[in-house]
Amino acid sequence: MTKVHTKNGLIDLDQLTVKDFISMESNARVVATEWYHKGEMVRRDVAVSLLQGQEVFGEQQQL
Amino acid sequence: MCDTFRVDLLNGTHAFGAQGANGVRTVTTKDVFKMALYFASATKDRSTTVYNATGEVGNSGSYSAGGVTVANATAPANTGGTGVVTFWTPSASVSVTTFTAAAFDAAVLYNSSNTAGNACAVFTFGSQSITAGTFTLTMPTNDLTTGLLRLS
Repeated sequence: MTKVHTKNGLIDLDQLTVKDFISMESNARVVATEWYHKGEMVRRDVAVSLLQGQEVFGEQQQL
Repeated sequence: MCDTFRVDLLNGTHAFGAQGANGVRTVTTKDVFKMALYFASATKDRSTTVYNATGEVGNSGSYSAGGVTVANATAPANTGGTGVVTFWTPSASVSVTTFTAAAFDAAVLYNSSNTAGNACAVFTFGSQSITAGTFTLTMPTNDLTTGLLRLS
């Protein structure tokens, strides 16, 4: 049986309820995964995908 | 992007790839860069100059003060296009495991090899909370349009 690390120790996967939440920030997509055991949230993962970096901008002048 | 980072670039403070040796500089290794995570209550923005532990999330799981070393297997690239852009992006996601932290919303990229820990850029992603879980910060595609740091 696959076990999942939680704040209450290792718990069998089939005893957990999993909920995913997806949201958008200004420059990131966020996926949060909440793991519940007997109604209590025992683990929460977050994956942030940065969409674009940052730029030092300037344009080369033409002669 | 941090205001002081632009000055640092002209001063040759950061080596994202191997530096070229010259008459007075013999160090040709690249620097180590880290991402440090900060609570939403901390003020991190373009005025950030160096790494600072104030407002940083606490030690938890694989996270310790100072943050996570970013993978840097890909040297800055310079490709043509409509405008010539030089870009650099960490070569892998930043990941923290067995991690618990509440209400953090920013990551500061800074030069860990630099004595002062000069900051490069601040990235925000909305307030997040982790409970005994994994936090993953996936980098954008490393190209001239979305690379994490770009000069054009």
